[in-house]
Amino acid sequence: MTAGTESTLAGAASGAVGYRRTGAGLRLARLHAVSRRVPFALGLLTAFGALLGVALHYHWSMAGGYAVQVLVPLTIQTGAAAVITVSTYGPFGDPERATGRWLPWLRLGSALALTAIAYGLLAAGATGGVLPGGTLALLRYLAGSAGLGLLSAVALGGPFGWVGPMAYLLITEVALDGDPTTPWIWAGRPPHDHGAALCAGAVFVAGLVAITVLGTRNGGNHSTPE
Amino acid sequence: MTAALDAPVRPAPVAPIRSASLSFLRLLRIELRRSPVVLILPLIAALFWYDSYRASMTQQPLWMLRTFWNMGQAHTIIDFGPFVAGMAAWIGSRDGRRRTTDLVTAAVRPRWTVALVSWAATAIWAVAAYLAFVGVLFGVYAAEGVRGEPPWWWVAVGVTAVVAFSAAGFAVGTFFPSRFAAPLAAFGGFLAMVMSAQTGFKNPSGWALILPTNSQGNYEQQDTGIFYPYLPDLPIARILFLAGILAACLGLLGLPARAGGRWLRRTAALVTLAGVATTATAVVLVGTAQVDLRGVVIPALHDAANDRPIAYTPVCGPAAQTQVCLNPAYGRYLTDVTTALAPALAEVSGLPGAPQRVTQIAATDTGGPAAMAISGSPPVLLFGLGAEASLPGSNGFQDGTTTTKDFEGILRVQFAQAFLGAGTAGDTPAQQAVEAALLQRAGTTLADQPRLEEIARLGPGPKLSATGPVYDAAKRLAAMAGTAWHAWLAANLTALRSGALTLEQLP
Repeated sequence: MTAGTESTLAGAASGAVGYRRTGAGLRLARLHAVSRRVPFALGLLTAFGALLGVALHYHWSMAGGYAVQVLVPLTIQTGAAAVITVSTYGPFGDPERATGRWLPWLRLGSALALTAIAYGLLAAGATGGVLPGGTLALLRYLAGSAGLGLLSAVALGGPFGWVGPMAYLLITEVALDGDPTTPWIWAGRPPHDHGAALCAGAVFVAGLVAITVLGTRNGGNHSTPE
Repeated sequence: MTAALDAPVRPAPVAPIRSASLSFLRLLRIELRRSPVVLILPLIAALFWYDSYRASMTQQPLWMLRTFWNMGQAHTIIDFGPFVAGMAAWIGSRDGRRRTTDLVTAAVRPRWTVALVSWAATAIWAVAAYLAFVGVLFGVYAAEGVRGEPPWWWVAVGVTAVVAFSAAGFAVGTFFPSRFAAPLAAFGGFLAMVMSAQTGFKNPSGWALILPTNSQGNYEQQDTGIFYPYLPDLPIARILFLAGILAACLGLLGLPARAGGRWLRRTAALVTLAGVATTATAVVLVGTAQVDLRGVVIPALHDAANDRPIAYTPVCGPAAQTQVCLNPAYGRYLTDVTTALAPALAEVSGLPGAPQRVTQIAATDTGGPAAMAISGSPPVLLFGLGAEASLPGSNGFQDGTTTTKDFEGILRVQFAQAFLGAGTAGDTPAQQAVEAALLQRAGTTLADQPRLEEIARLGPGPKLSATGPVYDAAKRLAAMAGTAWHAWLAANLTALRSGALTLEQLP
């Protein structure tokens, strides 16, 4: 065996390892997504996008001021955020945590990807009519709600991640009647309001960090209630 | 033979029915202890405080106004319903998610019975919390001395709605056993409530009255629970509607083959059909509703006994030697009313048509200030305050607050219009000038009058300003000496009321 042959074989071997690593990484990501019911979540997000389009096209909620006009779109956006957060729940608990060192990155990637896809689908749905606040306000509300949901999932458990966005929707609904000035009610601020964008962004980042580092509450002494 | 007779009697076996109910209760106790609904109650309590309690405490201390937001617009249901539906869906999907459906189906109790027990535990927690929170809310109102009658029928609607939400959510969880069942049930419930409110705004009568968050026709009446009781017609129809949904959802749980035996499934089918029929009946009944001053009257559900006005002993006080009497629910405004009317009554004292008594009657309009009227012999000034009218302070859902000075000014404007026979529209320039002079002499400046008249008028109208020949004449009249003004008014009042007097004929 010549030196050239050895070099070719070594290159081929490292290429094969790289290919195997890439393949394994993709397989891991796919298995993670399947275990979190991400395909089903994508279907639901598509349905929410379509629902937003129908609601805007048929003027489901246009019989009042801004507070009333924005309520149905906000409800649909909150529903999408809830789907993102509920899909963070993993059924395996400790075994998964003990064996998977890529798990935090998978959680981060999954949450980020689902939020981006949800935004795209809702923005596509919003072309069915006139969305109050436009797609910038949509991005702000979706990111903020998803962040709240991720924080809820960390605190209460993945299956109950929807509770945070739902509670925030109720608070927003009441606050919008009073023409709020606080940036924490980001749906009540103009689309280009920096304060509201910062608040929503901060909540989203906090949610992402929490879900990446801590994961959802389940397993051990913090079992999700049945 | 003897030995056989002497043998100890064997204890009678426990009756099967008693055994079944015992196991049912035992199962219910376990479900109640392990229900996750409890975990979400603190969050619901916080939202209930933020939404139903906090907003209501800014209203006038009248039951009708205090409960307008939380009962009339059903915010107590909005605070509870979606969360209860979500948690019920989570509980309902338990066997499906855990893949224990086969295991439970093979158990001694029919699957439908076990499911009903799980649902019952959820509903018991939800209803107990709802009643506790509403009880605290009403307790705070009562401690503050809020006047009128509490809307008990609307509490019953809220309880039924919470139970219906729990059943609907449970059915979603049972038939769609997924992690996404809970959020879908919760957001579906919230969307339904939002759409219900929107449909209500667009459809103030007809079938849409049945929708739980439609406030049209039930809380629009200003003196409900003060001069006359809350009519139970619409609450009964809504309870029927929600109970029908409840029965249909629970019946659906017993329809699958694994739910139980043939007879049980037939019973479930009957329950489902009965639920659908009840819901449809409620919608048809509401279609016959008529909205009047006392609320919604549904002929098939109406009880004439509810038409009787609420008996009360009026609270009275003097205003320029004229007795002013109010419903005791409005007793706290007596001083404001007498202060407002005293100078105006003094200005017209002894003139033809000057009221000898002032009496509050039930408001005849469904929103805004009510018009005053003078009638009878001796003349009596009849007026409605109405819970939603411009009472001093924060007034229902109007922007800003009404000051006591503005309240008094509005009453004077209404009195001047009633006394001079001038309406807010169609009054002659001479009537307008004398009205303005009367108000100026009673303490309401010409500058304030246009604004107050805009508030006091019953419908839309043009923007007013205290300028022009009408106000020039009013200034001349207001500058007259008291005796001269009184004498001129006595001589010209009939011509003025008939509209025969022109602006040029005024001094």
